[in-house]
Amino acid sequence: MMDCKEVGTVLFLFFDNEMEEELLAPFRDHVAQCSHCTKRMAYTRKLLVIVREKCVRCSAPDRLRHRILTSLPHRGTVPGPY
Amino acid sequence: MPKTSVDHQKGWNFEAAAMPFVDALYNTAYRMTRNSEDAEDLVQETYLKAYRYYDKFEEGTNFKAWLFKIMKNTFINNYRKKQQAPTLSDFAEIEESFENQVSEDATRQTKNPEEELLENVLDEDVQRSLDKLPPDYRMVVILADLEGFSYKEIADILEVPVGTVMSRLYRGRRLLEHAMLDFAREHGYLREGEPAKMRSKSVSK
Repeated sequence: MMDCKEVGTVLFLFFDNEMEEELLAPFRDHVAQCSHCTKRMAYTRKLLVIVREKCVRCSAPDRLRHRILTSLPHRGTVPGPY
Repeated sequence: MPKTSVDHQKGWNFEAAAMPFVDALYNTAYRMTRNSEDAEDLVQETYLKAYRYYDKFEEGTNFKAWLFKIMKNTFINNYRKKQQAPTLSDFAEIEESFENQVSEDATRQTKNPEEELLENVLDEDVQRSLDKLPPDYRMVVILADLEGFSYKEIADILEVPVGTVMSRLYRGRRLLEHAMLDFAREHGYLREGEPAKMRSKSVSK
């Protein structure tokens, strides 16, 4: 079974689905019987949800799409100064 | 075939494959340059380079990650030098303290007040906190939490070991957490009418 320190080391790995298979059971076993780590789990989950959901994504402006497309050679004859 | 002729098939293939990622690339470019003009130039240059090297892209590998890698390299070449932004080695020390940090966290009581504080975090707090992160940490957090890349994909994009991705992500998220809690604390105190001097100083390093 893991201790609190080890759980802290791999906490993000768990939420990122990056934890190695064989660590999952020892991780879950520890958290299940440790109120401190249970709280950390809840807190970390909330933290990650906030970062992932509250961070506003900005879309590319239309003029950028236009700039990119007109710069590609196969589109090359679209409105140019020549 | 004359040299000047345009490879139309390549052009259409590239366009169909690459254009769906323009929002993701622009968003990351904007977070990294913190300036819409630079972000647009960065994305434009990324597309030009990607088109030029499209023949080198290995079919079956992750195309989105490939585009991000080109943008990362372009960003480092064009902007990091100009900005004299902190370099990787400036943060090596912080990364070395990763282990210490982990043990500190393990012994630290997780206080309920912090969890409540998180409720006070506004959308723009996340934004501002992210902007405050040193570039290396910001990049990893963006790639993981906003773009959903795996550790392995991030390691490929940044050309660093997976262990480095893990330690930067750990540190980056912790820095982000502290910055967000500081903002939330400010809102909380302001709402409750606590004196301004009670506000904690922002943690930036």
